[in-house]
Amino acid sequence: MTEPYFDIAVGAASFFAGVLGSLIGLGGGIIITPLLVLCFGIDLRYAMGAALCSVIATSSGAAAAYLRDGISNMKIGLFLCVATTVGAVCGAILATVLDQSLLAIIFGVALLATVFLSLKKKPETRLLPAESDPLALKLDLPGELPEPDGTISPYGVAALVPGFCVMWVAGVLSGLLGIGSGAFKVLAMDQIMRLPFKVTTATSNFMIGVTAAASVGIYLKKGYLDPALVSPVALGVLAGAFVGARLLPVAPVKLLRAVFLTAVSFIALQMIWKGLH
Amino acid sequence: MVTGTLISASLIAIGLVWFLSAHVGGNPGDHIFSGEPKYFENPFGMVRRALDWHAAGEQLSIAMIGIFLLLLNPPVRVLLAGVGYLMEGNRMYALISAVVLVVLAISFFW
Repeated sequence: MTEPYFDIAVGAASFFAGVLGSLIGLGGGIIITPLLVLCFGIDLRYAMGAALCSVIATSSGAAAAYLRDGISNMKIGLFLCVATTVGAVCGAILATVLDQSLLAIIFGVALLATVFLSLKKKPETRLLPAESDPLALKLDLPGELPEPDGTISPYGVAALVPGFCVMWVAGVLSGLLGIGSGAFKVLAMDQIMRLPFKVTTATSNFMIGVTAAASVGIYLKKGYLDPALVSPVALGVLAGAFVGARLLPVAPVKLLRAVFLTAVSFIALQMIWKGLH
Repeated sequence: MVTGTLISASLIAIGLVWFLSAHVGGNPGDHIFSGEPKYFENPFGMVRRALDWHAAGEQLSIAMIGIFLLLLNPPVRVLLAGVGYLMEGNRMYALISAVVLVVLAISFFW
């Protein structure tokens, strides 16, 4: 395959991944990297670099809408970004010294963990601001969520320190594997810190871009960003995420989600297999 | 934020189309890792390269500047948040924003 056809194929696959990722709520990185490695035979390091850029592209596009709607909690996002960015730098440095086979195995395991976290039920366990963690109160983290009926619901923040630690791990995974690790960020905010789900997804979206930017500087210096690959991937995922968001009201999301999570589990096992051989 | 993303996406698209038009029939070289050239390692090198008319044909520099602008989007978001908190007189969150910016700067310029 010649360069133009190759780039068009990569762009089309990235577009498809962007549409699916946006429909089922998984970021670009977790789909793009295995797609580039397993279907196009691209080196894992280049694939991770391209995926990380696509994560920033989709995060930048969506974060503006969430901020405008007042759903993101910037204080929580910025505070937790201290953990995720430090973790991402550690992860990116680790990625430059670890063997590719080991990275492929870790990637496969992280994919399986993402599928597991996506399948987990997310009960609405909202706290009142007064019930918040004392440290969260000191940092003025409890916020207010604008509801669709026009009312405002105040919410509290639980278990700040454990949430901060899980965020550090999410940052390490993001830097190590070139993914947004949104599923892990949602785990920390939704399950541990007991934030409302809408606030969790919106704040996580803001954080994903900042976390990815922390590791991408290291990737850039190590030569992991090949512009000839990053360009079609970033453009494809960005366009795909845009189309996916518009298809959301009419798409059979439950069916797509079931099919896709099964496919991701299969891809995860293939990545582990590739790492072992 | 949206304007920044659109500008960077446009630059990436221009660079990619220019690169592809000059490489019709060429083989894709993405399969084997070689690391990118030195001038792609930092923002100053990319801009210098893109503006160097003697290196005309290095179409990817244009795309790389677009990519770099895209990567700049999250730090700018943090910077604006920090400035906003500073103007509100909220020193604690201005400081937290500054800490995040320092980590990002370490990643890009270390």
